Amino acid sequence: MDIRALWLTLRLASVTTVLLLCVAIPLSYWLAFGKARWRPIVEAVATLPLLLPPTVLGFYLLILLGPRTAPGRMLIRLTGHPVAFSFAGLVIGSMIYSLPFAVQPITSGFTALSSDVLDAARLLGAGNFRILAEVVLPLTLRSILTAAVLCFTHTVGEFGVVLMIGGDIPGSTRTLSIAMFDQVQDFRYREANHTALLLLAVSLVALIIVYGWRKQVRHA
Amino acid sequence: MYKFLLFLLLVPLAAAQNLRLAAAADLQPVLPPILAQFENQTHIHIDASYQSSATLATQIQNGAPFDLFMAADFSFPQRVISEGLADADQPVAYARGTLVLWTRNDSPFRQLSVDTLKDPAMKTLAVANPEHAPYGRAAEASLKKLGLYDQLKPKFVIAENIAQTAQYVDSGNAQAGLISLTSALSERLHANGHYVEMPADSYPPILQGAVVLKNSGHRTEAHQLLDFLLSPAVGKQFAARGLEPPH
Repeated sequence: MDIRALWLTLRLASVTTVLLLCVAIPLSYWLAFGKARWRPIVEAVATLPLLLPPTVLGFYLLILLGPRTAPGRMLIRLTGHPVAFSFAGLVIGSMIYSLPFAVQPITSGFTALSSDVLDAARLLGAGNFRILAEVVLPLTLRSILTAAVLCFTHTVGEFGVVLMIGGDIPGSTRTLSIAMFDQVQDFRYREANHTALLLLAVSLVALIIVYGWRKQVRHA
Repeated sequence: MYKFLLFLLLVPLAAAQNLRLAAAADLQPVLPPILAQFENQTHIHIDASYQSSATLATQIQNGAPFDLFMAADFSFPQRVISEGLADADQPVAYARGTLVLWTRNDSPFRQLSVDTLKDPAMKTLAVANPEHAPYGRAAEASLKKLGLYDQLKPKFVIAENIAQTAQYVDSGNAQAGLISLTSALSERLHANGHYVEMPADSYPPILQGAVVLKNSGHRTEAHQLLDFLLSPAVGKQFAARGLEPPH
Protein backbone atom coordinates (compact mmCIF):
# COMPACT_ATOMS: atom_id res chain seq x y z
CA MET A 1 0.00 0.00 0.00
CA ASP A 2 1.24 3.45 -0.94
CA ILE A 3 0.84 5.22 2.43
CA ARG A 4 1.59 8.67 1.02
CA ALA A 5 -1.09 8.21 -1.62
CA LEU A 6 -3.53 7.04 1.04
CA TRP A 7 -2.82 10.08 3.23
CA LEU A 8 -3.03 12.43 0.27
CA THR A 9 -6.35 10.92 -0.82
CA LEU A 10 -7.83 11.27 2.66
CA ARG A 11 -6.63 14.87 2.89
CA LEU A 12 -8.01 15.71 -0.54
CA ALA A 13 -11.36 14.09 0.12
CA SER A 14 -11.76 15.74 3.57
CA VAL A 15 -10.77 19.23 2.46
CA THR A 16 -12.92 18.97 -0.67
CA THR A 17 -15.95 17.76 1.29
CA VAL A 18 -15.81 20.52 3.92
CA LEU A 19 -15.24 23.32 1.40
CA LEU A 20 -17.84 21.93 -0.96
CA LEU A 21 -20.52 21.80 1.74
CA CYS A 22 -19.86 25.49 2.46
CA VAL A 23 -20.59 26.25 -1.20
CA ALA A 24 -23.35 23.71 -1.78
CA ILE A 25 -25.59 24.57 1.18
CA PRO A 26 -26.25 28.22 0.21
CA LEU A 27 -26.41 27.26 -3.47
CA SER A 28 -28.94 24.50 -2.77
CA TYR A 29 -30.98 26.86 -0.59
CA TRP A 30 -31.17 29.30 -3.45
CA LEU A 31 -32.01 26.50 -5.92
CA ALA A 32 -34.75 25.12 -3.66
CA PHE A 33 -36.38 28.37 -2.59
CA GLY A 34 -35.16 31.02 -5.02
CA LYS A 35 -37.49 32.49 -7.59
CA ALA A 36 -35.05 33.76 -10.23
CA ARG A 37 -35.95 32.90 -13.81
CA TRP A 38 -32.46 31.67 -14.68
CA ARG A 39 -32.51 29.11 -11.88
CA PRO A 40 -32.74 26.14 -14.33
CA ILE A 41 -29.56 27.38 -15.99
CA VAL A 42 -27.68 27.44 -12.68
CA GLU A 43 -29.10 24.03 -11.83
CA ALA A 44 -27.94 22.66 -15.18
CA VAL A 45 -24.44 24.08 -14.73
CA ALA A 46 -24.25 22.66 -11.20
CA THR A 47 -25.26 19.22 -12.51
CA LEU A 48 -22.99 19.34 -15.56
CA PRO A 49 -19.94 17.67 -13.94
CA LEU A 50 -22.08 14.56 -13.50
CA LEU A 51 -22.35 14.08 -17.27
CA LEU A 52 -19.24 15.80 -18.53
CA PRO A 53 -16.23 13.61 -19.37
CA PRO A 54 -13.63 14.24 -16.64
CA THR A 55 -11.10 14.98 -19.38
CA VAL A 56 -13.15 17.98 -20.57
CA LEU A 57 -13.19 19.42 -17.08
CA GLY A 58 -9.51 18.56 -16.60
CA PHE A 59 -8.57 20.20 -19.87
CA TYR A 60 -10.27 23.51 -19.10
CA LEU A 61 -8.91 23.55 -15.57
CA LEU A 62 -5.42 22.87 -16.89
CA ILE A 63 -5.73 25.81 -19.25
CA LEU A 64 -7.24 28.03 -16.58
CA LEU A 65 -4.86 27.14 -13.75
CA GLY A 66 -1.65 26.69 -15.75
CA PRO A 67 0.88 29.28 -16.89
CA ARG A 68 -0.49 29.55 -20.44
CA THR A 69 -3.42 31.88 -19.78
CA ALA A 70 -3.85 35.24 -18.05
CA PRO A 71 -5.94 33.90 -15.12
CA GLY A 72 -3.43 31.10 -14.65
CA ARG A 73 -0.48 33.52 -14.61
CA MET A 74 -2.33 35.72 -12.14
CA LEU A 75 -2.82 32.72 -9.86
CA ILE A 76 0.88 31.91 -10.17
CA ARG A 77 1.74 35.45 -9.10
CA LEU A 78 -0.64 35.20 -6.15
CA THR A 79 0.40 31.76 -4.93
CA GLY A 80 4.02 31.70 -6.07
CA HIS A 81 3.61 28.47 -8.02
CA PRO A 82 1.28 27.11 -10.73
CA VAL A 83 -1.97 25.89 -9.21
CA ALA A 84 -2.14 23.07 -11.74
CA PHE A 85 -0.09 20.08 -10.52
CA SER A 86 -0.48 21.10 -6.88
CA PHE A 87 -2.72 20.04 -4.02
CA ALA A 88 -4.68 23.30 -4.27
CA GLY A 89 -5.35 22.57 -7.95
CA LEU A 90 -6.66 19.12 -7.07
CA VAL A 91 -8.98 20.64 -4.44
CA ILE A 92 -10.42 23.07 -7.00
CA GLY A 93 -10.84 20.27 -9.56
CA SER A 94 -12.44 17.93 -7.02
CA MET A 95 -14.84 20.60 -5.80
CA ILE A 96 -16.16 21.16 -9.29
CA TYR A 97 -16.13 17.47 -10.12
CA SER A 98 -18.09 16.51 -6.99
CA LEU A 99 -20.42 19.54 -6.97
CA PRO A 100 -23.51 17.64 -8.20
CA PHE A 101 -23.00 15.01 -5.50
CA ALA A 102 -23.39 17.73 -2.89
CA VAL A 103 -26.03 19.90 -4.55
CA GLN A 104 -28.42 17.12 -5.60
CA PRO A 105 -29.11 15.50 -2.19
CA ILE A 106 -29.15 18.83 -0.34
CA THR A 107 -31.50 20.47 -2.83
CA SER A 108 -33.89 17.54 -2.75
CA GLY A 109 -33.74 17.56 1.07
CA PHE A 110 -34.60 21.26 1.09
CA THR A 111 -37.36 20.87 -1.49
CA ALA A 112 -38.98 18.09 0.54
CA LEU A 113 -39.41 20.40 3.54
CA SER A 114 -43.02 21.30 4.24
CA SER A 115 -43.62 24.90 3.21
CA ASP A 116 -45.76 25.34 6.35
CA VAL A 117 -42.64 25.17 8.50
CA LEU A 118 -40.87 27.80 6.44
CA ASP A 119 -43.93 30.06 6.31
CA ALA A 120 -44.29 29.79 10.07
CA ALA A 121 -40.67 30.78 10.58
CA ARG A 122 -41.04 33.68 8.19
CA LEU A 123 -44.26 34.85 9.89
CA LEU A 124 -42.41 34.85 13.18
CA GLY A 125 -39.98 37.28 11.60
CA ALA A 126 -36.94 35.09 10.89
CA GLY A 127 -34.64 36.21 8.07
CA ASN A 128 -33.21 33.93 5.36
CA PHE A 129 -30.01 33.22 7.24
CA ARG A 130 -31.82 32.40 10.46
CA ILE A 131 -34.32 30.16 8.67
CA LEU A 132 -31.42 28.28 7.03
CA ALA A 133 -29.39 27.90 10.22
CA GLU A 134 -32.15 27.20 12.73
CA VAL A 135 -34.94 25.56 10.76
CA VAL A 136 -33.78 24.14 7.44
CA LEU A 137 -30.38 22.70 8.40
CA PRO A 138 -31.50 20.80 11.52
CA LEU A 139 -34.44 19.32 9.59
CA THR A 140 -32.31 18.26 6.61
CA LEU A 141 -29.24 17.07 8.47
CA ARG A 142 -29.52 13.64 6.88
CA SER A 143 -29.45 15.03 3.33
CA ILE A 144 -26.39 17.04 4.23
CA LEU A 145 -24.62 14.05 5.73
CA THR A 146 -25.55 12.04 2.63
CA ALA A 147 -24.04 14.78 0.49
CA ALA A 148 -20.89 14.73 2.62
CA VAL A 149 -20.48 10.97 2.33
CA LEU A 150 -21.08 11.03 -1.44
CA CYS A 151 -18.65 13.93 -1.98
CA PHE A 152 -15.98 12.25 0.08
CA THR A 153 -16.33 8.93 -1.72
CA HIS A 154 -16.58 10.47 -5.16
CA THR A 155 -13.40 12.45 -4.53
CA VAL A 156 -11.60 9.34 -3.29
CA GLY A 157 -12.51 7.60 -6.54
CA GLU A 158 -11.62 10.44 -8.89
CA PHE A 159 -9.20 9.59 -11.68
CA GLY A 160 -9.50 11.52 -14.94
CA VAL A 161 -9.50 15.03 -13.54
CA VAL A 162 -6.63 14.25 -11.17
CA LEU A 163 -4.55 12.75 -13.95
CA MET A 164 -5.10 15.78 -16.20
CA ILE A 165 -4.54 18.58 -13.73
CA GLY A 166 -2.36 16.79 -11.19
CA GLY A 167 -0.23 14.41 -13.20
CA ASP A 168 1.28 11.74 -11.03
CA ILE A 169 3.58 13.44 -8.54
CA PRO A 170 4.22 11.31 -5.45
CA GLY A 171 3.17 13.06 -2.25
CA SER A 172 1.44 15.98 -3.90
CA THR A 173 -0.90 14.72 -6.63
CA ARG A 174 -0.60 10.91 -6.70
CA THR A 175 -3.90 9.80 -5.17
CA LEU A 176 -4.83 6.17 -4.54
CA SER A 177 -6.54 5.69 -7.90
CA ILE A 178 -3.48 7.07 -9.72
CA ALA A 179 -1.14 4.99 -7.56
CA MET A 180 -3.15 1.94 -8.54
CA PHE A 181 -2.84 2.80 -12.24
CA ASP A 182 0.92 3.00 -11.66
CA GLN A 183 1.06 -0.28 -9.79
CA VAL A 184 -0.66 -2.10 -12.67
CA GLN A 185 1.66 -0.51 -15.21
CA ASP A 186 4.64 -1.58 -13.13
CA PHE A 187 3.37 -5.18 -12.76
CA ARG A 188 2.82 -4.81 -9.01
CA TYR A 189 -0.49 -6.67 -9.25
CA ARG A 190 -0.58 -7.69 -5.59
CA GLU A 191 -0.22 -4.07 -4.48
CA ALA A 192 -2.75 -2.98 -7.10
CA ASN A 193 -5.14 -5.57 -5.73
CA HIS A 194 -4.78 -4.22 -2.19
CA THR A 195 -5.39 -0.66 -3.38
CA ALA A 196 -8.37 -1.80 -5.44
CA LEU A 197 -9.90 -3.67 -2.50
CA LEU A 198 -9.55 -0.62 -0.28
CA LEU A 199 -11.20 1.65 -2.88
CA LEU A 200 -13.96 -0.91 -3.36
CA ALA A 201 -14.55 -1.13 0.39
CA VAL A 202 -14.70 2.67 0.78
CA SER A 203 -17.34 2.99 -1.96
CA LEU A 204 -19.41 0.08 -0.68
CA VAL A 205 -19.36 1.24 2.94
CA ALA A 206 -20.31 4.77 1.86
CA LEU A 207 -23.32 3.48 -0.06
CA ILE A 208 -24.40 1.24 2.81
CA ILE A 209 -24.27 4.25 5.15
CA VAL A 210 -26.32 6.35 2.75
CA TYR A 211 -28.97 3.67 2.16
CA GLY A 212 -29.02 2.84 5.87
CA TRP A 213 -29.98 6.43 6.59
CA ARG A 214 -32.71 6.35 3.98
CA LYS A 215 -34.27 3.25 5.59
CA GLN A 216 -34.30 4.96 8.97
CA VAL A 217 -36.03 7.97 7.47
CA ARG A 218 -38.73 5.80 5.97
CA HIS A 219 -39.34 4.00 9.27
CA ALA A 220 -39.38 7.17 11.32
CA MET B 1 -13.05 21.60 12.97
CA TYR B 2 -11.18 24.29 11.08
CA LYS B 3 -8.05 23.50 13.05
CA PHE B 4 -8.28 20.00 11.64
CA LEU B 5 -8.71 21.46 8.15
CA LEU B 6 -5.69 23.66 8.63
CA PHE B 7 -3.75 20.62 9.78
CA LEU B 8 -4.79 18.73 6.65
CA LEU B 9 -3.72 21.62 4.46
CA LEU B 10 -0.38 22.32 6.07
CA VAL B 11 1.06 18.95 7.00
CA PRO B 12 2.46 18.05 3.57
CA LEU B 13 4.41 21.28 3.16
CA ALA B 14 7.05 19.95 5.50
CA ALA B 15 7.67 16.91 3.34
CA ALA B 16 7.45 18.63 -0.03
CA GLN B 17 11.17 19.30 -0.41
CA ASN B 18 12.01 16.11 -2.31
CA LEU B 19 13.64 16.27 -5.74
CA ARG B 20 10.99 15.71 -8.41
CA LEU B 21 11.98 13.59 -11.36
CA ALA B 22 9.92 13.31 -14.55
CA ALA B 23 11.12 10.06 -16.08
CA ALA B 24 10.21 8.34 -19.34
CA ALA B 25 8.31 5.09 -18.84
CA ASP B 26 11.17 2.93 -20.19
CA LEU B 27 13.13 3.95 -17.08
CA GLN B 28 10.56 2.48 -14.69
CA PRO B 29 12.19 -0.98 -14.63
CA VAL B 30 15.69 0.57 -14.44
CA LEU B 31 15.79 3.57 -12.17
CA PRO B 32 14.34 2.67 -8.74
CA PRO B 33 17.39 0.78 -7.38
CA ILE B 34 19.77 3.36 -8.91
CA LEU B 35 17.83 6.24 -7.35
CA ALA B 36 17.98 4.41 -4.03
CA GLN B 37 21.80 4.38 -4.27
CA PHE B 38 21.79 8.13 -4.89
CA GLU B 39 19.46 8.69 -1.94
CA ASN B 40 21.75 6.65 0.31
CA GLN B 41 24.83 8.58 -0.78
CA THR B 42 23.43 12.09 -0.70
CA HIS B 43 20.33 11.89 1.54
CA ILE B 44 18.48 13.74 -1.20
CA HIS B 45 15.10 12.09 -1.60
CA ILE B 46 13.55 11.70 -5.01
CA ASP B 47 9.93 11.47 -6.11
CA ALA B 48 9.80 9.94 -9.57
CA SER B 49 6.85 10.09 -11.93
CA TYR B 50 7.01 7.62 -14.84
CA GLN B 51 4.96 8.46 -17.93
CA SER B 52 5.36 8.84 -21.66
CA SER B 53 7.86 11.53 -22.67
CA ALA B 54 5.11 13.52 -24.41
CA THR B 55 2.84 13.48 -21.37
CA LEU B 56 5.66 14.67 -19.13
CA ALA B 57 6.70 17.41 -21.57
CA THR B 58 3.10 18.63 -21.75
CA GLN B 59 2.83 18.64 -17.97
CA ILE B 60 6.05 20.63 -17.70
CA GLN B 61 4.77 23.13 -20.27
CA ASN B 62 1.63 23.51 -18.18
CA GLY B 63 3.53 24.23 -15.00
CA ALA B 64 4.22 20.84 -13.41
CA PRO B 65 6.87 21.41 -10.71
CA PHE B 66 9.55 18.94 -11.83
CA ASP B 67 13.28 19.46 -11.24
CA LEU B 68 14.75 17.05 -13.78
CA PHE B 69 13.21 15.67 -16.99
CA MET B 70 14.63 12.42 -18.38
CA ALA B 71 12.96 11.72 -21.70
CA ALA B 72 13.20 8.67 -23.96
CA ASP B 73 14.32 10.81 -26.91
CA PHE B 74 15.64 14.27 -27.79
CA SER B 75 12.55 15.90 -29.29
CA PHE B 76 10.58 16.24 -26.05
CA PRO B 77 13.37 17.80 -23.96
CA GLN B 78 14.02 20.05 -26.94
CA ARG B 79 10.39 21.13 -26.87
CA VAL B 80 10.80 22.04 -23.21
CA ILE B 81 13.98 23.96 -24.05
CA SER B 82 12.31 25.87 -26.88
CA GLU B 83 9.60 27.01 -24.46
CA GLY B 84 12.37 28.50 -22.34
CA LEU B 85 11.73 26.11 -19.45
CA ALA B 86 15.12 24.39 -19.24
CA ASP B 87 18.42 25.67 -17.86
CA ALA B 88 20.48 24.46 -20.86
CA ASP B 89 20.14 24.92 -24.61
CA GLN B 90 20.80 21.27 -25.44
CA PRO B 91 19.54 18.09 -23.75
CA VAL B 92 22.23 15.89 -22.19
CA ALA B 93 22.35 12.46 -23.81
CA TYR B 94 22.37 9.87 -21.04
CA ALA B 95 21.50 6.58 -22.74
CA ARG B 96 20.38 4.86 -25.91
CA GLY B 97 17.35 2.58 -25.91
CA THR B 98 16.82 -0.69 -27.75
CA LEU B 99 13.54 -1.85 -29.30
CA VAL B 100 12.65 -5.53 -28.94
CA LEU B 101 9.86 -7.88 -29.95
CA TRP B 102 8.61 -9.70 -26.86
CA THR B 103 6.14 -12.50 -26.30
CA ARG B 104 5.02 -14.66 -23.41
CA ASN B 105 6.51 -18.14 -23.05
CA ASP B 106 3.03 -19.65 -23.44
CA SER B 107 2.34 -17.86 -26.74
CA PRO B 108 2.29 -19.86 -30.02
CA PHE B 109 5.52 -18.17 -31.14
CA ARG B 110 8.34 -20.39 -29.88
CA GLN B 111 11.22 -19.15 -31.99
CA LEU B 112 10.97 -15.39 -32.12
CA SER B 113 12.46 -13.55 -35.07
CA VAL B 114 11.49 -10.60 -37.18
CA ASP B 115 9.71 -13.11 -39.44
CA THR B 116 7.34 -13.89 -36.56
CA LEU B 117 5.72 -10.56 -37.39
CA LYS B 118 4.69 -12.01 -40.79
CA ASP B 119 3.05 -15.06 -39.17
CA PRO B 120 -0.71 -15.04 -39.92
CA ALA B 121 -1.22 -16.50 -36.41
CA MET B 122 -0.17 -13.11 -35.06
CA LYS B 123 -3.49 -11.38 -34.41
CA THR B 124 -2.56 -8.62 -31.97
CA LEU B 125 0.63 -6.63 -31.52
CA ALA B 126 1.07 -4.14 -28.68
CA VAL B 127 2.74 -0.90 -29.72
CA ALA B 128 3.25 2.32 -27.78
CA ASN B 129 1.44 5.40 -29.09
CA PRO B 130 3.87 6.86 -31.67
CA GLU B 131 2.63 10.36 -30.91
CA HIS B 132 3.48 10.16 -27.21
CA ALA B 133 6.17 7.55 -26.81
CA PRO B 134 9.59 7.57 -28.51
CA TYR B 135 9.61 3.77 -28.51
CA GLY B 136 6.27 3.85 -30.31
CA ARG B 137 7.83 6.14 -32.88
CA ALA B 138 10.75 3.74 -33.24
CA ALA B 139 8.36 0.80 -33.61
CA GLU B 140 6.48 2.58 -36.38
CA ALA B 141 9.72 3.50 -38.17
CA SER B 142 11.07 -0.04 -37.85
CA LEU B 143 7.93 -1.70 -39.21
CA LYS B 144 7.82 0.77 -42.12
CA LYS B 145 11.46 0.10 -42.94
CA LEU B 146 10.84 -3.65 -42.86
CA GLY B 147 7.79 -3.23 -45.11
CA LEU B 148 5.45 -4.71 -42.48
CA TYR B 149 3.64 -1.60 -41.30
CA ASP B 150 0.56 -1.76 -43.53
CA GLN B 151 -0.18 -5.42 -42.89
CA LEU B 152 0.36 -5.10 -39.12
CA LYS B 153 -1.38 -1.80 -38.51
CA PRO B 154 -4.88 -3.33 -38.14
CA LYS B 155 -3.45 -5.66 -35.49
CA PHE B 156 -2.02 -2.89 -33.31
CA VAL B 157 -3.06 -2.61 -29.69
CA ILE B 158 -1.96 0.93 -28.82
CA ALA B 159 -0.73 1.68 -25.30
CA GLU B 160 -0.16 5.10 -23.80
CA ASN B 161 3.52 4.57 -22.99
CA ILE B 162 6.15 1.85 -23.24
CA ALA B 163 5.62 0.47 -19.72
CA GLN B 164 1.92 0.03 -20.46
CA THR B 165 2.82 -1.66 -23.77
CA ALA B 166 4.79 -4.25 -21.84
CA GLN B 167 1.88 -4.63 -19.44
CA TYR B 168 -0.54 -5.31 -22.33
CA VAL B 169 1.60 -8.20 -23.64
CA ASP B 170 2.50 -9.63 -20.25
CA SER B 171 -1.17 -9.70 -19.22
CA GLY B 172 -2.02 -11.58 -22.43
CA ASN B 173 -4.05 -8.73 -23.90
CA ALA B 174 -1.77 -8.76 -26.93
CA GLN B 175 0.09 -11.78 -28.31
CA ALA B 176 3.34 -9.92 -28.81
CA GLY B 177 4.61 -6.42 -28.36
CA LEU B 178 7.31 -4.02 -29.48
CA ILE B 179 8.69 -2.95 -26.12
CA SER B 180 11.86 -1.55 -24.61
CA LEU B 181 14.79 -3.82 -23.80
CA THR B 182 14.60 -2.34 -20.28
CA SER B 183 11.15 -3.91 -19.83
CA ALA B 184 12.17 -7.20 -21.45
CA LEU B 185 15.09 -7.49 -19.00
CA SER B 186 12.95 -6.71 -15.96
CA GLU B 187 12.62 -9.58 -13.53
CA ARG B 188 8.98 -10.24 -14.32
CA LEU B 189 9.14 -10.16 -18.11
CA HIS B 190 12.40 -12.08 -18.11
CA ALA B 191 10.67 -14.89 -16.22
CA ASN B 192 7.44 -14.80 -18.26
CA GLY B 193 8.67 -14.52 -21.81
CA HIS B 194 11.40 -14.12 -24.38
CA TYR B 195 12.47 -11.46 -26.85
CA VAL B 196 14.42 -10.70 -30.00
CA GLU B 197 15.99 -7.33 -30.75
CA MET B 198 14.59 -5.47 -33.73
CA PRO B 199 17.29 -4.81 -36.36
CA ALA B 200 19.21 -1.74 -35.13
CA ASP B 201 19.33 -0.24 -38.63
CA SER B 202 15.54 -0.37 -39.02
CA TYR B 203 14.85 2.61 -36.75
CA PRO B 204 16.62 5.86 -35.86
CA PRO B 205 18.63 5.48 -32.62
CA ILE B 206 16.52 6.03 -29.50
CA LEU B 207 18.87 8.60 -28.04
CA GLN B 208 17.57 9.62 -24.63
CA GLY B 209 18.08 13.19 -23.41
CA ALA B 210 17.69 14.91 -20.06
CA VAL B 211 17.31 18.54 -18.99
CA VAL B 212 17.26 20.31 -15.65
CA LEU B 213 14.28 22.63 -15.45
CA LYS B 214 14.72 26.33 -15.03
CA ASN B 215 11.88 26.83 -12.56
CA SER B 216 13.22 24.11 -10.29
CA GLY B 217 13.97 25.22 -6.76
CA HIS B 218 16.59 22.46 -6.53
CA ARG B 219 18.78 22.98 -9.58
CA THR B 220 22.00 22.13 -7.74
CA GLU B 221 20.59 18.83 -6.52
CA ALA B 222 19.06 18.12 -9.93
CA HIS B 223 22.49 18.57 -11.58
CA GLN B 224 24.00 16.41 -8.87
CA LEU B 225 21.54 13.64 -9.77
CA LEU B 226 22.15 14.07 -13.49
CA ASP B 227 25.95 13.88 -12.96
CA PHE B 228 25.45 10.76 -10.88
CA LEU B 229 23.39 9.18 -13.67
CA LEU B 230 26.11 10.02 -16.20
CA SER B 231 28.84 8.39 -14.11
CA PRO B 232 30.53 5.25 -15.52
CA ALA B 233 29.36 3.17 -12.55
CA VAL B 234 25.72 3.96 -13.29
CA GLY B 235 26.40 3.53 -17.01
CA LYS B 236 27.34 -0.09 -16.31
CA GLN B 237 24.11 -0.65 -14.41
CA PHE B 238 22.16 0.97 -17.23
CA ALA B 239 23.82 -1.38 -19.74
CA ALA B 240 22.97 -4.43 -17.63
CA ARG B 241 19.34 -3.31 -17.60
CA GLY B 242 18.93 -2.56 -21.28
CA LEU B 243 20.19 1.00 -21.80
CA GLU B 244 23.33 1.41 -23.92
CA PRO B 245 25.72 4.32 -23.45
CA PRO B 246 24.64 7.25 -25.66
CA HIS B 247 27.77 7.49 -27.85
